Amino acid sequence: MSKLEKHILLPTEAVEIYKTINKVKKISIKEIEKTSALDRGKLEYYLDFLVSNKLISRQSLVSHRILLTKEGKEAVKKQLIERRIVEILKKNKDVHFANLANLIGCDKKEMNAGIGLLKKEDLITIDKGTIILTKNDVEINADLQKVLENLSKNEKVDSKEFEPILLERNLVELVEVKDTILEMLVPYEDIKSKIKQASEISRLTPTMIRNGTWKDYKLKEYNLKVSPPAFYGGRKQPYAHFLDWVKRKLIGLGFHEMRGPMVELEFWNFDALFQAQDHSAREWSDVYRVANPAQGRLPKEDYVSLVQKVHEDGYDTGSKGWRYQWSPEKSARLVLRAHGTSVSARTLVNLPIPSKYFSISRCYRPDTVDATHLAEFNQVEGIVTDPSITFRDLLGILSTFATDVAETEDYMFKPDYYPFTEPSVELSVRDPDLGFIEFGGAGIFRPEVTRPFGIETPVIAWGLGIDRLYMVKNRITDIRELFSHKLEWLRSAGLA
Amino acid sequence: MVSIKTSFTKMQEMLGKKVTIEELGYLLAFAKSEIAEYVEEEDMLVLDIKTSNRPDLWCAEGMAREIKGILGKEKKIPTYEVKSSNYKVVVDPKLASTRPYIACAVAKNINLTDYHIKQLMQLAEKIDQSYGRKRKRSSIGMYNLSMIKSPIQYKVIDESHEFVPLGYEEKMTLPEILEKHEKGQEFGDIVKGYRHYPILLSADGLTLSLPPVINSNDVGRITEKTTECLIEVTGTNYETVNVILNILCQTMVDHGSQIYSVEIEYPPEIREENDINPNLNIEELDIDIDVVNKYLGTEISMKDATELVEKRRFNCVSQNKPLLRVAIPPYRKDILHWVDVAEEIAIAMDLNKIGATKWKVLTTGSLLPETESENIVRDILLGTGGTELLTFTLTDPEILTKNVNLQDRKLIRIENPVSQTYSVLRDQIYPLLINVLSKNTHEAYPQTIFEVGEIAKITENSVITQTNAAFLHADADASFEDAHKWLDFLFRILQTSYKIEKSDHPSFIEGRCGKIIVNKKECGIIGEIAPEVLEENQIWVPIVGFEIELPLIPSLVCKVKETY
Repeated sequence: MSKLEKHILLPTEAVEIYKTINKVKKISIKEIEKTSALDRGKLEYYLDFLVSNKLISRQSLVSHRILLTKEGKEAVKKQLIERRIVEILKKNKDVHFANLANLIGCDKKEMNAGIGLLKKEDLITIDKGTIILTKNDVEINADLQKVLENLSKNEKVDSKEFEPILLERNLVELVEVKDTILEMLVPYEDIKSKIKQASEISRLTPTMIRNGTWKDYKLKEYNLKVSPPAFYGGRKQPYAHFLDWVKRKLIGLGFHEMRGPMVELEFWNFDALFQAQDHSAREWSDVYRVANPAQGRLPKEDYVSLVQKVHEDGYDTGSKGWRYQWSPEKSARLVLRAHGTSVSARTLVNLPIPSKYFSISRCYRPDTVDATHLAEFNQVEGIVTDPSITFRDLLGILSTFATDVAETEDYMFKPDYYPFTEPSVELSVRDPDLGFIEFGGAGIFRPEVTRPFGIETPVIAWGLGIDRLYMVKNRITDIRELFSHKLEWLRSAGLA
Repeated sequence: MVSIKTSFTKMQEMLGKKVTIEELGYLLAFAKSEIAEYVEEEDMLVLDIKTSNRPDLWCAEGMAREIKGILGKEKKIPTYEVKSSNYKVVVDPKLASTRPYIACAVAKNINLTDYHIKQLMQLAEKIDQSYGRKRKRSSIGMYNLSMIKSPIQYKVIDESHEFVPLGYEEKMTLPEILEKHEKGQEFGDIVKGYRHYPILLSADGLTLSLPPVINSNDVGRITEKTTECLIEVTGTNYETVNVILNILCQTMVDHGSQIYSVEIEYPPEIREENDINPNLNIEELDIDIDVVNKYLGTEISMKDATELVEKRRFNCVSQNKPLLRVAIPPYRKDILHWVDVAEEIAIAMDLNKIGATKWKVLTTGSLLPETESENIVRDILLGTGGTELLTFTLTDPEILTKNVNLQDRKLIRIENPVSQTYSVLRDQIYPLLINVLSKNTHEAYPQTIFEVGEIAKITENSVITQTNAAFLHADADASFEDAHKWLDFLFRILQTSYKIEKSDHPSFIEGRCGKIIVNKKECGIIGEIAPEVLEENQIWVPIVGFEIELPLIPSLVCKVKETY
């Protein structure tokens, strides 16, 4: 008997179980389960209180139970094979060996087993294939049949005598039955006064805290292994978050943001950038034209006529120009911005010197939307200007983008071509899996671009393939995912 | 960007040097090209060439010519002797208003293999398509010289004229060719625009071709047996037509042929003087070495500069410090200004060896105030527990109309969309969000989403762009109250007082919709989405939400931007 000095706090349900065990002194868990309203899980939980306070003991017990096999069940249904054979022989004289199986309706193996048994008991003889009963009123294994039938009814059967043969003939099998036996260690009456019953509660309330009644209750344990309810909190679009990071990087490098309109005049998208009006990039297939309004208005500024001059004869830049008649009507046509450089073009008006600018703009191209193309995408680009700036500084700017934005020291420059810059350079960076991939490019604006805006200093134009960078960093192969509508991704995509 | 197919073996042959495929890739970068594909078993190389203004590079010979300069194997402008072929072309004055210019040359010992013919055809086609602006500006033809008698006539002819076009057996009249021949169908519009038919005829009346459509099947057919050919370029731009002829002649010379000149007799309506083709007159340009050094950030001497430009196949004509006079190869017309020569020098120095410098200009960086404002709104809406969305501004008109129970209205439409799915610009964001919700009906509710993004509208005087914020909440229990409490939260943090006035809007339930008023102006809409809209989009839970125009919120600095 355990000596308990202090109070034992038990949930009400545990006390009830204690009383039940106390009545019978010894009981199996399965018995309690039958009469209790609790499921096994809860039952075990409350039993734990009783065991840990040494009020009851629990012991595992393994016993064996005898159960009918499939063959046994069939024997119950149809009778044991030897008994069936005897019945047939009683009804039919001169049954031939060959016919017996058909008459009985069983397979040969089973039939032979039955025949063997009867022969052993001298209950039959076989003469030239005919089976003959040795005496008329044959009874075989009636008691065995009865045991089987009783077993099938789940009645209490003393089958010990028959077990060996039932097992041998595979009519029954022994099944291990585990059970737990609970035994009372301390009588309820002896400990009753020390037990403090408490209802189990799952929540603390402000009232309980305020008036101290929390002391009368036991707070249920929280199951730490259970998955919590799904919670989809507020979070940034993962690609937008990346673009915010790019903006921070660029601001950190001293760039001011610039923005422009999605619907753009051809003037800013092409003409101010010295792209010839008959250039193939201005064709139907390469830029989206606005149907309505189809035409805008050119700015009423001097630079417009100067742009016209550079196109026609090079103006005072020392260039030959494009040598054609420049059309203001074509220049005033409206398109969807095809590249971010149109924002840079607008920024050339009253450009502060020195200065560094960047923009992240939605741009548009008439492409069939598939895994590698979008009709609408982001471009990051900008300009840098200072009287002292040179081509080697341009290479320096690109190398900084490689190290600070693409975050790699492994990069390469290649000669490139843009109609509005000369020289032009492509920046490639090495990805561990893909090898060298194009990351961005830059060039010095041709004087035909800057002179109409009265700019004498070199202006470097640069651009980065930021969508590509995001895809490579996140191992995304389908560009459409950047603008995914799938809440599954939006809710769970990582940010780190 | 232009793609050409050639052979790795041929490239090495033209370079006169064995290289690995990686080494070739490295060398091609100097010519603004890269290997797009290499199939070793077929010896097939596909090259992507980044320039659109260097048609001389669009064949193995041209590429090799450029790279041999870089390697130092050859330098300066390649030259070749040109004797007279004694052929002449007489040009009809009637062509003055349509397709006046023609350039011709004769090539002998042309050593054609089937492969070489394919390469020439590829070069001609690439030039016709891009530089020749789909043959409108210029087109190329090649003919069996042995069948041609001088003087060749380039003239206007009656439509009843007949000849057997290339690939066919029967004679066809000119209109028949335009209608029935594939090339007639492809390029016939150019001729139809002229309202007369140009023709190239041999002195004895044999047809060479119908420019720019198709050659004849006899004179206009080049095979491996052809030993001498006539190269011809016709077009609307004198300079273009002549530089293309120069490119083709140089290519033939690199292949081992000899070029013979052809005289072009122009009428005074087209040109004052006759031409002797190929016109190998060399253009010269002065560069100031001090200015170039300042531009590049280098310290190149006159001697260095001379060596470098010669590597790029230019000649150095004279030196008068700091001026250097360079001569440009006749197959290039892309050198417009001294900056173009500066680039050639930089390339010759190797961009990876020239030395990048860290620039020293100190400037501070910042976001535009309007972007800061937009980010404030994004942060507040994130605080409601909403998931941020980015949707397209270019969208399907149905999403903006039928799917939200709105009539067709004046939206910014694209004239040449690839598909209806991306053919109008959005003037509101919430329809795009409804579209997102319609695609997520199997995901757990509640679904709370928002977007702060740009929209575009047509106004009386212009086309404007501005930023809107749209917010939607879909849930079995969603009610007006939810949308209202979040709108209230948003305006509280924006310190903006607002009113909601009863309003009717077809996307929202009657009686459960209001317009949002700030500073006596309507700046947005709030309500419960109409069940007709939910049904149309196959969404089976109620949706509530709002959309506001940020330029109308006084505490923000978002503006309406006019395109013009």
